Amino acid sequence: MKRHGLFAFVRHAVLLAWTAVTLIPVYWMLNTSFKHSGEWVTWPPHWFPEHPTLENYAQVLTPGSTIFELGRQTLKVLKPLWDSLFTATVSALVAVALGSALAYSWARFGTGGKNYPYSVLTIRMLPPIVIAVPFLVYYASLHLLDTYTGLILVYIATSLPYVIWMMLAFIEDVPRELESAARVMGASRFRVLSSVVLPLTVSGLVATFLFVFILNWSELLLALTLTSTQVSTIPITLNKFQSVNEGRDYGPQAAIGAIATLPVVALGFLIQKHLVKGFSFGLLRK
Amino acid sequence: MPAARRAALSWLEREQVFKWLPFVPVQALLVFLLLPFVLLVYLSLVSWRITRGVWWHAPFVGAANFAGAVQDERFVWAVIRTFGFAAAAVPLELGLGFGLALLCRERFRGRRFYTTLFLLPMMIVPAVVGYDLSMLLIDQGPLNQILSLLAGRPVTVRWISDYRMAKAAIVGADVWQWTSLVFLIVLSGFAGLPPDPIRAARTMGANRWQIFRHVELPLLKPVLAIALVLRSMEALKIFDYPVLLTEGGPGNSTETIAVYLWRVGWDFTRVSDAAAMSLVLMVVVVIYTVIAIHILRRERRQLAEDTAR
Amino acid sequence: MAGIRLAGLTKAFGASRAVDGVSLDIPDGEFAVLVGPSGCGKTTTLNMIAGLEAPTAGDVYIGGERVTDREPRDRQLGMVFQSLALFPHMNVFDNIAFPLRIRKTPPAEVRARVEAVAETVRVAPLLGKRPATLSGGEAQRVALARTIVMRPRAFLMDEPLSSLDARLRVEMRTELKRLHAALRATFLYVTHDHAEAMTMADRIAVMHHGLIQQPGPPLAIYADPVNHFVAGFFGVPPMNFVDGALDADAGRVAFRAAGVTVVVDRPAAAVSARGAVLGVRPEHVRLRDGTGAWPATVSLLEPLGDETIVFLDYGGPTSIVAKVDPDEKIAVGDRRRFMFDQDKLRFFDGTTGERILR
Repeated sequence: MKRHGLFAFVRHAVLLAWTAVTLIPVYWMLNTSFKHSGEWVTWPPHWFPEHPTLENYAQVLTPGSTIFELGRQTLKVLKPLWDSLFTATVSALVAVALGSALAYSWARFGTGGKNYPYSVLTIRMLPPIVIAVPFLVYYASLHLLDTYTGLILVYIATSLPYVIWMMLAFIEDVPRELESAARVMGASRFRVLSSVVLPLTVSGLVATFLFVFILNWSELLLALTLTSTQVSTIPITLNKFQSVNEGRDYGPQAAIGAIATLPVVALGFLIQKHLVKGFSFGLLRK
Repeated sequence: MPAARRAALSWLEREQVFKWLPFVPVQALLVFLLLPFVLLVYLSLVSWRITRGVWWHAPFVGAANFAGAVQDERFVWAVIRTFGFAAAAVPLELGLGFGLALLCRERFRGRRFYTTLFLLPMMIVPAVVGYDLSMLLIDQGPLNQILSLLAGRPVTVRWISDYRMAKAAIVGADVWQWTSLVFLIVLSGFAGLPPDPIRAARTMGANRWQIFRHVELPLLKPVLAIALVLRSMEALKIFDYPVLLTEGGPGNSTETIAVYLWRVGWDFTRVSDAAAMSLVLMVVVVIYTVIAIHILRRERRQLAEDTAR
Repeated sequence: MAGIRLAGLTKAFGASRAVDGVSLDIPDGEFAVLVGPSGCGKTTTLNMIAGLEAPTAGDVYIGGERVTDREPRDRQLGMVFQSLALFPHMNVFDNIAFPLRIRKTPPAEVRARVEAVAETVRVAPLLGKRPATLSGGEAQRVALARTIVMRPRAFLMDEPLSSLDARLRVEMRTELKRLHAALRATFLYVTHDHAEAMTMADRIAVMHHGLIQQPGPPLAIYADPVNHFVAGFFGVPPMNFVDGALDADAGRVAFRAAGVTVVVDRPAAAVSARGAVLGVRPEHVRLRDGTGAWPATVSLLEPLGDETIVFLDYGGPTSIVAKVDPDEKIAVGDRRRFMFDQDKLRFFDGTTGERILR
């Protein structure tokens, strides 16, 4: 019993330590977002704002584009929020629709050959920087540079590998005999999809969608490459802050960070359970 | 339903046609997006800078760019550095993630709290992580304060301005964010362990450690394989942290491949050089990919055999 | 209602043939059973009849019409799967209603028909429940209801009882026979269980290695097997087989094996000397003295209550199994004499397994 007590103590100690490691950066960001400029960099650091303020949030959330104020550029976050939301949502939706259909086709008919999921995975293995260079020139010629369409198309392609692998796990869980039974009972193949396969994989679809959404929402490099003024996502905005103000506009930047992060984290918590299955890559036993 | 529509639908339903339906748009998309690769090869074989007129008039230089790339010290160092980061970060993530999952596998009070919370880091936008840590790691910043408290004397590690510590900072950012992914994968692996072999081992008199080493660990091999493949795949691409935390600095000490190529292409506008380097990088990635896929396939095949009954 | 006819149905996977030229004629209203060991091709055959798999060669006819090229949904068949395949995300009512709703049957009619069928198979109180909450027998009946409500031309069943426990299986067998009589429909039932085949079938087709070995009524197959495989497949305990050889004995055919010699009433000229296998069912092995009885030692007893199974060690490589009355006084180690019912002996070629000396 004593030994057991010791083990439990050690366990909690370690876990609490990691909890602290996990939470401190997040807390610090929230903390900073409520401070006014005098408190951003102090020694000793203020773990709690002495004069909490909402001015950072007010500053970034008011509509308008970049403004010059007291020799400082203040970047706004409403348009980037919209741009990120739009591109991430559309690309995730299309990727999930196409990828799931593909996964189904491969799982049931073997279309594309038995190596298809692996070859699709290679798309993901390529460092985006490799495609960034030619894409800039390519898109420029096609007038797709700095457009929603251009960015969305690329995001769809980079999301497909994950969609296919995740949905494969969910689709393989639907017994084939259910589909056979439905077909003998008179359902067309499309009907089988909508009445049998879809209801049984809904949770997988939602989880995959949210995962891909988070992925695209967070993407920086390709967005940086392929857009400039018309389209501007949140990670780009953060980056601009960094370079424009030599990284010292901590307050508003923290506010942007909080706004960009919290909704996504909330979504992530929702799909936790299903992420486990989606990440199995077909390797987890049932 | 009108006859024409019915005929069309039933044609679509034939297995031969049906199974190819989703492939058509996808392959079209992929082909559309693959054309730039031809462009990449072309660009690497000519000498072009964005400032020098149109790309289709650029002069042909053959393998000169490649020779230049391989001899470019900064490029080579960027490659070595990137692999170095991955070699440092990935094992740390695997070890930490595995350890944490091990501690969380049994039910105990508060377990739910920990498992939910530990998933937080991987859902945060990496750019935010980079920026956030840059705030924490300033010389007169919170992290140094904590370290001072723990050490009992003033500690001022120059995380961002010292070229060695900056590397540690990058690795730290990656580990901080992605340990949670490994944690998730391994935890689900533990949940998926079949109870019967473990029960059998217990009746045969094996103790906790023996069961872990001889029964559970081998069964977890596929799970660790996934985590390894996933993380190393992504670790080699890191871009967000160096850009936001350290801007590749101080000097070039945290310049990863992605950052360097970015600079070559954008800041220096040496597009052809960037293209050549990209292709060299691709060769490295292809080798790496083949190995990774081989591992993944072998594990999948093994699992299919083992569970064939 | 319609009969099913298979003509030369073949399914090849690369070089191997799962189904090798199967031809069968099932008249309308018959309860036919396709029986054979695992892997003999019976499920594949069923899938081809249903249209779930396309044959490499051959044709399927339902009610005289050639349906080989038709989609499953155009064949009007009812099919019950081994796993029952109830839709887990729908309740019992919706499961049964599914085929009707696909055909856009008006809701009032759907309700009426589903409730009627539910009454017939006695699942009416379960209509609101989900499949996961049903017992084995209940799920079975829901699966049946789902096919019956469609009013199909014929019913296909792929080992539907294999997931039930022994007692339930016996109950369901009777239920299925009753259903068959009430519906007067064509049933094609697939199983690996010979007892199921024997009790349920009007006609059995024994399958092995993708071929039909012997089609015919159960008792005929039991009494008059066409080869070694069919003979050994039916009967519990299985038929005794003794390896030996045929030659002549005073102008008559004689079968000789270690410890056993049998003279068959056929002229010696009818067969050539060769290896052969003697087959005799345990119920035709008699423990009594008499001319030609052979000695043996009792090595094992299995008292079943209504009969006792006796294993006799007679000097051959395996024991001979006999069935005796439960009242027979017998113990392990007894020395007894046994003989066979002469007219119940069956002989098979030692190499091909084909029946000889009929």
